[in-house]
Amino acid sequence: MKIDQIKKEFPIFDEKIQNNDLVYLDSANSSQKPKIVVDRINEFYTKQFSNVGRSVHYLAVAATNLYENTRTSVQKYINAKDKNEIVFTKGATEALNLVANTLGQSYLQEGDEVLITELEHHSNYVPWHFLRKSKNIKINFAEINKECEITLEEIEKKITQKTKLISITHLSNVTGAILPVKEITQLAHSKGIIVVVDGCQGAPHLKLDMQELDCDFYAISCHKMYGPTGLGVLYGKKKWLEELPPYQGGGGMINEVKKDRISYGELPNKYEAGTMATAQVIAFDQSIKFLESIGIENVMKHESDLVEYGQELLQKNNSVKLIGNPKNKGGVLSFTIEGVHPHDIATILDEDGVAIRAGHHCCQILHDKLNIPASARASVGIYNTKEDLDQLNQSINNCKKIFNL
Amino acid sequence: MNLKELYQEIILEHGKNPRNLRKTEGFNKDAKGNNPLCGDNVHVYLKLNGQKIVEDASFEGSGCAISMASASIMTDLIKGKNEHEAKEIVEDFLGMIKENPELQSKYLSEDEKTKLMCLSGVKQYPMRVKCATLSWHTMVSAFDEKMEEVKTEN
Repeated sequence: MKIDQIKKEFPIFDEKIQNNDLVYLDSANSSQKPKIVVDRINEFYTKQFSNVGRSVHYLAVAATNLYENTRTSVQKYINAKDKNEIVFTKGATEALNLVANTLGQSYLQEGDEVLITELEHHSNYVPWHFLRKSKNIKINFAEINKECEITLEEIEKKITQKTKLISITHLSNVTGAILPVKEITQLAHSKGIIVVVDGCQGAPHLKLDMQELDCDFYAISCHKMYGPTGLGVLYGKKKWLEELPPYQGGGGMINEVKKDRISYGELPNKYEAGTMATAQVIAFDQSIKFLESIGIENVMKHESDLVEYGQELLQKNNSVKLIGNPKNKGGVLSFTIEGVHPHDIATILDEDGVAIRAGHHCCQILHDKLNIPASARASVGIYNTKEDLDQLNQSINNCKKIFNL
Repeated sequence: MNLKELYQEIILEHGKNPRNLRKTEGFNKDAKGNNPLCGDNVHVYLKLNGQKIVEDASFEGSGCAISMASASIMTDLIKGKNEHEAKEIVEDFLGMIKENPELQSKYLSEDEKTKLMCLSGVKQYPMRVKCATLSWHTMVSAFDEKMEEVKTEN
């Protein structure tokens, strides 16, 4: 696999960013976009635009077909049984809110327990917190071990008679820990517990097979998957999506509307109220094609080589402290430098064209646990090279120099 | 202005060894501020005497070099000023950090202006402006006895 070749497919790398070549190490935040995705948006708006699923004219029918093609592509890509198990949302955040909201309306009862982990992004905590407020459910936290992993044993320990649902990340956006989702799901299902997976970091970097994972829900963020912003995917097992009530009401999600009664549309329309992110959905088909053309096994191999290389590099760098050391690790390197605040690190690295993220990465629970206000995070994508990580290391040294370390 | 100039000696010095990083004994005004995006937080304490002049100012908290340096310099130069003067200096500082090329307040000595101007480079880094302004907004909140925590998103 030639990374140089792949990198050429991303127009942004032709740009000078403040006179520097871009070293983009912020893909866990959002990935860059290959030309085919950008072009597809342009082409749709310039030559094919129409709203979908409503009018009967030629453009509307064609656009609807394109829109539905993406649904089928996603279904195949994640190995879902049925294309109606794929619901488009405005993002993974909305996908998780949809699950929490609808389960809260009709399944979870006062006193029920939801088990999440200390690694969770705020979007896999706050929606459950809403239910804590409105329905008096209880939220328990599985705790990280010293390597910043969540083990199956820890999950097992935290399950009680009242646990109705487990909602976990597939891959931590801070420590990079990959959770044993398949094993956790097996355990949960043996006890009648539903499993929701926040796949924001999992989807771009891991093989997705819903039949193998067997989780009940899986949330995907398309803009982290070389796709457009404003789009997410919720996978839900058909029996759940059929049984649960709708989330938002409006056009497109109804069957029949009368003054005294309303019936709702079939899946997946039931969960796609209002005009959807049509151009983004259609362009996302190209993101999947892009990933398929490389092969997810190759993506995984490349990124795990990179992260291993980066880890070694930073471990050797005095005063850099890596956060967590999970055995199963995705392409994320979070770190602190003794005596330099992460925001100062990020600003100084930016001067060299090295784009990283600093802050709590929407994981305040984890940062509280680690007793740090913030961390710096370098995360890789398919277009990164070992040279990018060398530059990261060199810029960290530059930062240390400025701070007289 | 390049980065080295932003992180010049005075910021590094104040950022690493902030002045007045403590809790004023017998303070009579205080307020908390936090910058949720960065995880920076600050608690400003003021002790005003009978003539409403700031007898002592201090802060507790943690944050980046820019926010620490800014709080350090602020608490130093606010001592001896009354509320009206202090608030005018805050306005002057906020104007400078966002757009004005110079400080204009008649309540600042040349020496104080020079010290504050070392933060002027922050305006080149819009995402960092809130780091520099957090403690200043928090001080105003302390004067106004606002109970709510200050949150700066800019």
